[in-house]
Amino acid sequence: MDRAEVEARVKKVVSRVLGVDEDMITPDSHFVFDLGAESAQSVQLVAAFEGEFNIEMDNDAALKVKTVGAAVDFISRYL
Amino acid sequence: MSVSSVGKSAMHSDVSPSRSGLQSIFYPRTVAVVGANATPGTVPYDIFHNLLISGYRGTLYPVAPGKASICAVKAYRYVLDIPDKIDLAVIVFPAEVVDRAMEQCAKQGVKAAIVISAGFREAGPEGQQREQRIKAICAEHGIALIGPNCLGVINTDPAVRLNASFARKMPDAGRIGFLSQSGALCTAVLDYARDKGIGFSKFVSFGNKAGVSEIDLIEYLHDDPATDVILLYLEEITDGRRLVETARRVTRGPKAKPILAIKAGRTAEGAGAAASHTGSLAGEDAVCDDVFRDAGIVRVASIEELFNTAIMYAYQPMPPGDRLAIVTNAGGPGVMATDAAVRCGLSIARFEPQTTQKLKAALPATANIKNPVDVIGDARADRYAAALDAVLADPNVDQVLVILTPQSMTDIDAIARCVCDVSRRASKAIACSFMGAADVASGVHILQAAHIPHYILPEWACRAMADVQRIRRWREYQLHEPHRPQVDRHAAEALVAACPNGYMREDQALALLKTYGLPVPEYRLCTDAEQAVDFAAQIGYPVVLRAAGRNIVHKSEIGGVALNLRDAHQVREAFADMTRRLAAAPAAALEGVLVRAMIPAGTELILGARHDPSFGPVVMFGLGGIYVELFRDVAFALAPLDAHTAAALVRRVRAVRLLEGARGLPPADIAAVEDSLVRLSWLAADFPRISELDVNPLIAGPAKTGNAVADVRIRLGR
Repeated sequence: MDRAEVEARVKKVVSRVLGVDEDMITPDSHFVFDLGAESAQSVQLVAAFEGEFNIEMDNDAALKVKTVGAAVDFISRYL
Repeated sequence: MSVSSVGKSAMHSDVSPSRSGLQSIFYPRTVAVVGANATPGTVPYDIFHNLLISGYRGTLYPVAPGKASICAVKAYRYVLDIPDKIDLAVIVFPAEVVDRAMEQCAKQGVKAAIVISAGFREAGPEGQQREQRIKAICAEHGIALIGPNCLGVINTDPAVRLNASFARKMPDAGRIGFLSQSGALCTAVLDYARDKGIGFSKFVSFGNKAGVSEIDLIEYLHDDPATDVILLYLEEITDGRRLVETARRVTRGPKAKPILAIKAGRTAEGAGAAASHTGSLAGEDAVCDDVFRDAGIVRVASIEELFNTAIMYAYQPMPPGDRLAIVTNAGGPGVMATDAAVRCGLSIARFEPQTTQKLKAALPATANIKNPVDVIGDARADRYAAALDAVLADPNVDQVLVILTPQSMTDIDAIARCVCDVSRRASKAIACSFMGAADVASGVHILQAAHIPHYILPEWACRAMADVQRIRRWREYQLHEPHRPQVDRHAAEALVAACPNGYMREDQALALLKTYGLPVPEYRLCTDAEQAVDFAAQIGYPVVLRAAGRNIVHKSEIGGVALNLRDAHQVREAFADMTRRLAAAPAAALEGVLVRAMIPAGTELILGARHDPSFGPVVMFGLGGIYVELFRDVAFALAPLDAHTAAALVRRVRAVRLLEGARGLPPADIAAVEDSLVRLSWLAADFPRISELDVNPLIAGPAKTGNAVADVRIRLGR
């Protein structure tokens, strides 16, 4: 799976879980500061990424990921 | 000299907010809640919701990325998107992004910010860095910062009605300003106050005080026309000198407002394992007690006492004296109240004959018409009214305590209303204690609604009244500027400069005390027995030999002291013994033997000084020698001391009676002791390198023999 495809699918998941328009989301977007993620939603995001990509991530490390671009990098490691 | 110019704490805040910055915190025209969300029960939502429902008079903007609105109010993604100037930003984002939010606030031109979020200095090194970062942004852009890690700010003034907090309810308006370092305590205090019908003017949780400190807030409340009394809950004093200076200004003068404070927590540093007596006795708490007293801050032990005293002060006129009249329907509580009043320092008023006659005429024969007036268990409101009118009219009465016990015929509500009526007519302070709980509840509510201070126990009423008297006496007390006595500062500077950090050798320490005029007996450091014998012959027998060396601190434990040597032979022998013993203790390198005359017996005192982490140089006085740690009969004051404070300090310890000539002992020269304290305090204030200093003991002899330093220990460096 190339990076562009991972990024597109990450954006879709983020949009769905956080309820924000996809066009608001860029690789630099900070989940909390730019997209308004609440603490409970961070956990939901991790679960949704695992479901989307059919992977199992290190939860503690995953919760430390702060931006959409970093999430794409992090998920790519499992693919 | 101002108190802040000496021994300034290194930790003082470098982000002093402007007056207009503080005004933007309490009276913002526009507020942005930065990081709001739409989930009830979370701090970011509740803060916004509280602001909305408190009836805030300005304009409110939620900043909530990804949300169209919060509570039906249009939301903005960034604070920079708000098409309005923002006075106050309430930042509720998680700690990790607060710096980004603050940067945007700075660009937006925000004047003040409250950072509610936790995860800063209190959370370890990473949090500390975050705090430094937001502190720096605020300092650079002149933003007045409250928090981080706080509950928020409430201003009940109808002109603004601001509840920028996550407290459950907005308190009623009142005349009390409350400042707290603990946020959680605030919620408990608000609930407590609501139950007692107590209102607030301003209510501030200041958390980590990275920007605005308790001192800035005290200054603000001093100027606030809605505030009569300032309550403070403090865990950490970071600039003790400025706190003292501010408190002295606020609690005195034409606009005087009392400061009542709970100071909780002890620092490890304060209670640290210091080697000196002054160090081990001067735990922050003990120093704080005395320094607060000298600053006019009434230190109380509990939330209960804080409000007990606050309402007594805020709701009733200030009594011109401490004479109390008690009107009760029960003998036992009357006696208990009398005991408590005397214990607290109030006096029991002696009635004029006219008063006792009025009471005799109005009360049954079985009543007690002397103070405490017992109107007897079957008393109804008319009897209370007659007794109260009589005692309030008595010129020997400054204040009245009304006690009620709920007996079967007691019309509690009617008596409560009667007290309210009498109070409206009277110009003297009245407090009540309707003892019990369930039966007296409605009567208590009547009293509380009329702002008659009510206390469950008469003892609490007495304590509150006594505290108000402390406030009055403090206002009448004349403060004096300390004046430097004649000292040889240059010689002292040379001595201190020549010594490395650590304990000074005894002869050096004595020489230093001498430069500041302390009563140091003649001494000489001798390196051989013949020098010692020559000097002993010069000063006269008997003499004392004392081992001297930088590492020799506890002399007597290593055989480094020989007392009462009566001739040359004894001096030679003691010198040889001491040299031999110390040679066997290689850690204690002997540099010489100090010879001085034997000091005649007298009262052993301790005069100490230390560099307190919160308050800078402080002095200590107490009973010395072997008793100092046994009885802990010591008192502290900020250095330098003026002569009046030195005199007061000496009289704070119980041991002063020994100096005054108790039990047939000749009185000591107390004035000379006070003079030594003043000199010692200047030494401590002039030389911040002195971290600990003990003159222990100073032997206070009868007035004609004078006082003498028998032992001294001075440590340089931190």
